[in-house]
Amino acid sequence: MAATLAVKMQSVFQEPGCEHNLEKSDRQRKKGCSSQLKPGAAAGGCAFDGAKIALQPIVDVAHLVHGPIACEGSSWDNRGALSSGPQTYRTGFTTDIGELDVIYGGEKRLYRAIREIIEKYDPPAVFVYQTCVTALIGDDIEAVCKAASAKFGKPVIPVNVPGFAGVKNLGNKLAGEALLDYVIGTAEPEFTTACDINIIAEYNLSGELWQVKPLFEQLGIRILASLCGDARYQQVAYAHRARAAIMLCSKALINVARKMEERYGIPYFEGSFYGVGDMSDALRKTAALLVGRGAPQQLIERTEALIAVEEARAWARLAPYRERLKGKRVLLITGGVKSWSVVAALQEVGMEIVGTSVKKSTREDKERVVAIMGDDAHMIDNMTPREMYAMLSEARADIMLSGGRSQFVALKAKMPWLDINQERHHGYAGYEGIVTLVHEIDKTLSNPVWKQVRQPAPWEQ
Amino acid sequence: MPQSADKILDHEKLFREPEYAALLEKKKQDFEFGHTAAKVQQVCDWTKSREYQDKNFAREALTINPAKACQPLGAVFASIGFQKTLPFVHGSQGCVAYYRSHFSRHFKEPTSAVSSSMTEDAAVFGGLNNLVDGMANAYSLYQPEMIAVSTTCMAEVIGDDLDSFIKGAREKGSIPKELDVPFAHTPAFVGSHVTGYDNALKSVLTYFWDGKANAVPALERVPNQSINFIGGFDGFVVGNIPEVRRMFASMGVEHTILCDPSDAWNTPTDGQFRMFDGGTSKAEVENALNAKATVVFQEHSAEKTGKYIAGKGQEVVFLNHPMGVGGTDQFLMEVSRLTGKPVSKELELERGRLLDAIGDSQAYLHGKKFALYGDPDFLLGMTAFLLELGCEPVHVLSTNGDKDWAVKVQALFDASPFGKDCKVYPKRDLWHLRSLLFTEPVDFLIGNSYGKYLERDCGVPLIRLVFPVTDRHHHHRFPTWGYAGGLRVLVSILDEYFEALDLNTGDVGKTDYSFDLVR
Repeated sequence: MAATLAVKMQSVFQEPGCEHNLEKSDRQRKKGCSSQLKPGAAAGGCAFDGAKIALQPIVDVAHLVHGPIACEGSSWDNRGALSSGPQTYRTGFTTDIGELDVIYGGEKRLYRAIREIIEKYDPPAVFVYQTCVTALIGDDIEAVCKAASAKFGKPVIPVNVPGFAGVKNLGNKLAGEALLDYVIGTAEPEFTTACDINIIAEYNLSGELWQVKPLFEQLGIRILASLCGDARYQQVAYAHRARAAIMLCSKALINVARKMEERYGIPYFEGSFYGVGDMSDALRKTAALLVGRGAPQQLIERTEALIAVEEARAWARLAPYRERLKGKRVLLITGGVKSWSVVAALQEVGMEIVGTSVKKSTREDKERVVAIMGDDAHMIDNMTPREMYAMLSEARADIMLSGGRSQFVALKAKMPWLDINQERHHGYAGYEGIVTLVHEIDKTLSNPVWKQVRQPAPWEQ
Repeated sequence: MPQSADKILDHEKLFREPEYAALLEKKKQDFEFGHTAAKVQQVCDWTKSREYQDKNFAREALTINPAKACQPLGAVFASIGFQKTLPFVHGSQGCVAYYRSHFSRHFKEPTSAVSSSMTEDAAVFGGLNNLVDGMANAYSLYQPEMIAVSTTCMAEVIGDDLDSFIKGAREKGSIPKELDVPFAHTPAFVGSHVTGYDNALKSVLTYFWDGKANAVPALERVPNQSINFIGGFDGFVVGNIPEVRRMFASMGVEHTILCDPSDAWNTPTDGQFRMFDGGTSKAEVENALNAKATVVFQEHSAEKTGKYIAGKGQEVVFLNHPMGVGGTDQFLMEVSRLTGKPVSKELELERGRLLDAIGDSQAYLHGKKFALYGDPDFLLGMTAFLLELGCEPVHVLSTNGDKDWAVKVQALFDASPFGKDCKVYPKRDLWHLRSLLFTEPVDFLIGNSYGKYLERDCGVPLIRLVFPVTDRHHHHRFPTWGYAGGLRVLVSILDEYFEALDLNTGDVGKTDYSFDLVR
């Protein structure tokens, strides 16, 4: 591994913004944040994938993957991060290196690919992704990007995160480092206001950013930059002028939030847009941070007024589902903030949470689960598909909410299932989204197919 | 309000309401400050020009929107086709996560595959420990009866030696001495998924026939009357393999399907989770050595495997994904020749029915122009079938097809009057195809789900007959091979044709002079 990458990795393993990290000894810290991969056991995406996921939502740039067909071929346009404008990010750009490149090096090919992109697409920037193969053969993408930047007069950003660097989450963080190193602070906004904020680690999946943006706008708060949902390159470049920041998925980009606080004095808090109470908390904390930095005091009153109206409206819209969903048992297999942030809303409509996974959650996440659910009896640290399957087939739950990878475990156990990770087609954020979520749960539970699959064939009856 | 409780509009309708339309228009005017509509249109039109096409075809380094996948994806496909076999990919775990999601999105089924999760230190010191630990974990977690090892680029670049590593794993007791572990080197920077299929399949045969990596004596071939069938990488395998079995059964042909993932990707919802299901058994693999001959349905998927089998003294027949009437005729005649068994009455009837159907519809498809892309063998079979239907396969494009393949496609063109103005494009991508669709438009496009962007850009209706199909459900459950499969492919083309026709003739008072009830 390039020395620079090794140094970068060590730097993200030192995270003063993370309590969990602080508790570790120096030695433990060096080993990294996630538990060691278990060779031979089913595993998730790699660091490259994590980096691509985090940056791909920057919609107006070209994302060029330097590697063999595998990496871009498999990740091309595979997430529902939506754009309100340019579609450049959905085009699959790769150097598609071959055997001769592996032998003779792929740097020249990469340089020519960058040139062709700039000639043909003229995007505001090109992001170049390193992959295992090109890293192993020693292609120096940082040098190529530097040369291309100088030659073409356009930002060419190296994202030096080969898959072997580690797991997906590490890739998220290293992608954040690339933004800190090469993008953030390289441009100035036309104007600034006392109410400019950044939203960090929100990817506008199924348009979720658009579910919360109007709330901030009603308060006169401008989202200066979103990292990186529906983002434009320029926005990210002038993100350093925000007055406060909301960090959504603490595991993904905490390093970005913390370093922006250190470098530019932008205070942040960790919040969530999932669930009624959490959305309100997020608005409140944002207002408080902004007022603390000189925004007009009355922002706080206006925020409270908006919260009162929106909460009343949301609860009123959720009320009709109470009768239908009361007593239904939910198994939540997700990660991070969602492990606790939707729990309160589901409980409010009368549903019982039989388990929530905390595999990807921070210590704070886990504490909140305990606070909301009373104890930790229903916290599942790392459920194997086999255990999940047993739980579902013994009908200890009525519905499972999870990402696409565990859907078949539910479906084969004849269990209703609702997708709440990146491949879904509905947004669940804000006061709007929680109603959509409950509505979708209701639809899934009441689909006649479940009755059908649970009945024996007519000739066996 | 455009949205009301009485009539909830879903997303695709909601934003067309005047309130939203006005809002979006205002946003465009007041905030977007894009180029003028005229300028955008000008550039857009330019990308459709011959001039742009020339620049596009002069591309040398950049691949845009590739129509191929990597070797290990094909290797995992091949491994899934063996009984209780766990595909184990030595290398990065991210790659394997991609294969699993890729297959699951297409087949709507779980896909079991693991990796050795190589990390940085493995890249520096070699992946031995990962492989040894990985084998132990995979074996104890999932209890496979066979582990089929392939590799990602990462292991290939550092040059890990699978043979000695696996021997090491056995010696260290990571897996039982008698566990069968065939292995293949499958770097993504060589070839494509069909190459990976070939390498993985060959590794299984070599392993069992040549003495399990020197652990036991090699098998002696004792010829019998049976024949082997190798399907190759095929997105419709779930429908096609059972169809092939049905055809063999109908003729009373004793046969072995070498690599059959059709059950693994077609498990029922009956309350039982099947990590493995169906597949070719070890006994079948060993017995296959004794077969009289092997039929390779897709040559490019089994070039090396076929040669290896031929070296054992069997006759090997290479086909190029035969489809439709002529293609299926060729396939059945070869089977009949090899086995001495006549084509059954049942199949004769089916042939007649397919001909009848083609006859019924011929007037509609005659002379229609097609663009098609995909794997080399599929394109050969599909081109022949289109020519048989009286269609013109104007653009036949492949990212993983080479010059030799192009010569074969050209030979098909030359043999039919419908092939007169048709052209084959080896080693090209979907962005090249986009230019072609503008400069030399066609009536229909045959491809995979990624073709939907071309469908939208170029206004050419897409028929999904190529892996992966991720945005339409369950097409893969039906065969595309044999006479029955030919009928199914014919209907897919006709459906799209009639849809397009209805759409083009749907304007009341303007175009509905041919909006007909009976077509």
